[in-house]
Amino acid sequence: MTNFHYIGKEASRPDGPDKAAGKAVYIQDLQRPGMLYGKIKFSDFPHARIKHIDTSKAERLTGVRAVITATNTPEIRLGFLRDNFALKKDKVRQYRDEIAAVAAIDPEIAEEAIELIKVEYEPLPGLFSPHEAMKEGAPLVHERDPQGNSRTDNLVPLQFHHESGDLEAGKRAAKHVVEGTFTTPMVQQCCMGTAGCIAEFDMNSNLTVWAKTQIPFLAQRDFNRALSDMGLAGKNARVIVPTLGGGFGSGLDTHCYEYIAILLAFRTGYPVKIVYTRAEEFANLSPRQSSTTKIIQGCDQNGKLTFRHVEVLQDNGAYTSWGATYPSVMMMPATSLYRISNVYFNAQLVYTNNTYCQAMRGYGNPEFTWALESNLDELAEEAGIDPFDFRMLNSNKPNETTPMGLKISTCGLKECLETVAQKLNWKKRYKKGKHRGKGLASLIHVGGGARIYRSDASGLILKLDDFGNVNVYHGGVEMGQGLHSVLTMAVAEALGVSSKRVLINPTDTGTCPWDVGTHASRGAFMACNAAILAANKLRDKIFGLAEVFYPQEVEKNLKKLKKKNPNYKPPDFDVIKAARRENFELQDGFIFIKDGPQESWLRLELARLLRAIHFRNQGQMFTTEVFYDPPNELPDFKKGFGNISATYAFGTQGAEVEVDTETGEVKILKMVAAHDVGKVLNPQALKGQMYGAIAQGIGYAFYEELLSKQGKILNPNFRDYKIPRVYEMNFPIELEFIESNDKFGPFGAKGVAEPGLVPTAPAIANAIYDAIGVRIHDLPITPDKVLAALKKLKQTKD
Amino acid sequence: MKRFNYYKPRSLDEAWELKEKIPDALFIAGGTDILVGIKNGELYPPALISLRSIPELNSIKINGGAHIGALTTISDLIHHPALYNIYPVLVEAAKRLGSVQIRNVATIGGNLCNCSPCADMALPLLVLDAKVRLQTAKKNREIPIDEFFKGPGETNLTPNEILTGIVLESPRKSAKAIFLKKGRVRMDLAIASLAALMEMEGEKCQKARLAAGSVAPVPLRLFKVEAQLEGTTITDKLVAEAQQLAAESVAPITDIRATKEYRRQIVSVLVKRALKNILGWSQA
Ligand SMILES: Cc1cc2nc3c(=O)[nH]c(=O)nc-3n(C[C@H](O)[C@H](O)[C@H](O)COP(=O)(O)OP(=O)(O)OC[C@H]3O[C@@H](n4cnc5c(N)ncnc54)[C@H](O)[C@@H]3O)c2cc1C
Repeated sequence: MTNFHYIGKEASRPDGPDKAAGKAVYIQDLQRPGMLYGKIKFSDFPHARIKHIDTSKAERLTGVRAVITATNTPEIRLGFLRDNFALKKDKVRQYRDEIAAVAAIDPEIAEEAIELIKVEYEPLPGLFSPHEAMKEGAPLVHERDPQGNSRTDNLVPLQFHHESGDLEAGKRAAKHVVEGTFTTPMVQQCCMGTAGCIAEFDMNSNLTVWAKTQIPFLAQRDFNRALSDMGLAGKNARVIVPTLGGGFGSGLDTHCYEYIAILLAFRTGYPVKIVYTRAEEFANLSPRQSSTTKIIQGCDQNGKLTFRHVEVLQDNGAYTSWGATYPSVMMMPATSLYRISNVYFNAQLVYTNNTYCQAMRGYGNPEFTWALESNLDELAEEAGIDPFDFRMLNSNKPNETTPMGLKISTCGLKECLETVAQKLNWKKRYKKGKHRGKGLASLIHVGGGARIYRSDASGLILKLDDFGNVNVYHGGVEMGQGLHSVLTMAVAEALGVSSKRVLINPTDTGTCPWDVGTHASRGAFMACNAAILAANKLRDKIFGLAEVFYPQEVEKNLKKLKKKNPNYKPPDFDVIKAARRENFELQDGFIFIKDGPQESWLRLELARLLRAIHFRNQGQMFTTEVFYDPPNELPDFKKGFGNISATYAFGTQGAEVEVDTETGEVKILKMVAAHDVGKVLNPQALKGQMYGAIAQGIGYAFYEELLSKQGKILNPNFRDYKIPRVYEMNFPIELEFIESNDKFGPFGAKGVAEPGLVPTAPAIANAIYDAIGVRIHDLPITPDKVLAALKKLKQTKD
Repeated sequence: MKRFNYYKPRSLDEAWELKEKIPDALFIAGGTDILVGIKNGELYPPALISLRSIPELNSIKINGGAHIGALTTISDLIHHPALYNIYPVLVEAAKRLGSVQIRNVATIGGNLCNCSPCADMALPLLVLDAKVRLQTAKKNREIPIDEFFKGPGETNLTPNEILTGIVLESPRKSAKAIFLKKGRVRMDLAIASLAALMEMEGEKCQKARLAAGSVAPVPLRLFKVEAQLEGTTITDKLVAEAQQLAAESVAPITDIRATKEYRRQIVSVLVKRALKNILGWSQA
């Protein structure tokens, strides 16, 4: 397929009008008959024993329907390592620990009831950094592991390790070596729509949860497990996904509040809704982890990289979410961005009494690429090589296998680098003293799914009706990224119907086939690949039956035509003979014979063919189901080896900045982004993803940091936590897309949802260095850090 | 959030009467400060007395000088047909307060009575030598605005007093003023802000007014800097000394938005940029 009808053309989003008109139903809008409102009592200490919980006053408040604690409900465990509990019994390990919850007839009463719950604590010493938590004799965040064995340290029992080649030989071969330590802060996903759910039981004790989730099927599994903990083994949890106001990774785990809503719904017999306020979202939903990366790289006298040594330390917080597997993604650039052999990578996560962390867009890649691409510029300078030339020299190439075993199929990195350099007019540098500079940074990311679970698959059902509509049932989640727009295009393109005929149904575990979740930039890659498979299956079936029914129906067309126009002479064409499955084509909802005459009566409306096949004895209808599992491997993360994705996305971003050396403020004059996206599916949606990701990258670079003191979040609101607004994005962003047409990609496309964020901060930091000669190691790059660095530079010069 | 009663008096007398009856009630204007406080559980008044429906608080009168009703919204200041021509610095500051949505409801009186060190409207009014009119049922007084601010969130208002308006004299022709503000992002509470006004006679500075925000417990007049500039011919050296003096006059704190050291640095930079801009030496 090269002549596309839909793919590659601008298309509006099917979910757009409802969202613009305020008709889309978010969890905030959703109501159920008899619904109660749940509210959670969170801990008042970061680390303490719970001595006593007095809920009597709350229970007596008019309008309260239930008050629950760990003592009057079954224990429900959750989390990647199952080290977390829906309600905490003996001990709290972070400020946001859930101690009790109420269900009441309105949110105000629920809130009032929460204030009436009195908890007695015995405070324990807290640990607020990995360094403190790793000290000998530090108090334990978890005295026991989930199996009940006693623990002796605060290390999270997960290993992420990679060694390849000969590190010592790599060091010996290095003429230039540069070492650096880089840190990144906790940042919040900042979804427009805050988290929330509604849980409801029917009289058979089956559960429905309307959840703000990116993983409806893994959530179903988690909730079923909870039902079993509640003595309801064998009962089913159905997960329905309402319109999502953003995800950015925050929906990749099930959360305590969801289990609490389930417990409250079961206790009261009514649907229970819990929706976080913005303050709760900031303080009680898991952010992106903070990280410290120590990196050493070396190159020979020609600039060829000879080794890379990486140690990452991450603050896990008090419990373990899927986000604890960030290093599985960090390992990817560590071993595979630029051609490198002789690699050492190790990551350690540490329990602390800080808020526990979870996934966010890029999943470890922005953190690590910050260190890698900053350090690479330092190495280039040390080697006396231009940063662009240095990257070109070490660039990845197509059809290579990296030390981690990543099988790079297509790779447009060199084109990306060249495009950015050209658009930045790279070789023309600013004079010293102008305080202007240019910088660039690249990335590699999973572009063909990411197998971090046993299955990386995505099921899809296509159901044709009598009217020519194609109903799509897919387990992926539209959360604002535009999945439904490209899925619509892919179905229309692959099946041969008008995109107006494609109807995407709500994501619901009761009706949609299994999908592992919408993460790792996999949504479009999976859904569109599944759509192509399903469409081909359907076309096969349609064309097979058309051998009989097509001639019948076009005969009727011809009769009608002759009646209207008795002089009509049909071409000399044997329809019955031509009606072979291999001769049919379906386009824009019409079936016809390829290379046949162009007569209109030979173009048969698909809906008519379907009705002819349906409404007869032994009739048939068309529904097809596929399960697409991409050709990738679940890596062994202890060894750091395995082809995690079917294909890889590459990209380069460049920044041109001007620094105000009196105030430390950095003004972006221009950003350029060139990405190897495989193939552009919907240009508009793709640009939207890139602009949005770059904006998030600007936030990461300059403004965002979830501050905490002794485990308490200090800036749980948009007054104190800043994300870029329109003024901050007031600079040109030039986008270029390289189409490498990957053989595994649907129509050649790769995943693109995260890449725009990944290299934004290091590109800017490199530009700042170019402008004023100071290197910032710690995100965010605030004006006072820039001023402090300038001052230090001046002191060392004097 | 605690429940509260809401009253909407139609006259000042009615408002005072209500306040007598419910002494713990609070006046509410646009509500952009007070409701944030209530929602955050920092304030829990039994009642709010809205001043929005009292006609006489809602007008801008230009008559030689100007009288600005306390309930004038920030947007109304910006869109007033004559105000910008007379007091551009006031309107420039108004434009930097919050977002359009906030400016449409936030009032100039609320901004002053809330008495935050970062109050954007306080600075231009300080350099314009504004007076504020404070009234109770029995008493009516007018005081210079720099006597109005006492501490963070603390004003010269007595419990039942209402700020009814702001009185401005018409500025001298030779007066030039500027408002500068630095936040972490453009729409932010100030990390540091500055209003400056100078009346020049030839090379000589006849009158200087400087006020800085977010660098002291209250919006701060920089009296020492003013005294140093007045009656002198301004040179680069003098500007540098003014910067130094300004940095020494402020008492900033470290908070989520910035460190005290950074704030001091920014005040000094803003003083330089403001003076040079007024003198026409450079763009700010
Ligand atoms: C998102 C956001 C952004 C903001 N950005 C800025 C900014 O950039 N710069 C800035 O300076 N401020 C900012 N603010 C703060 C606030 O909007 C301003 O201080 C505003 O001017 C307050 O006016 P108001 O009418 O809303 O006051 P209200 O909240 O109604 O009242 C504030 C206080 O003043 C008292 N009061 C009000 N009017 C009178 C009166 N006439 N007599 C006696 N007492 C009175 C009230 O009792 C209360 O204590 C922001 C607020 C928000 C929510």
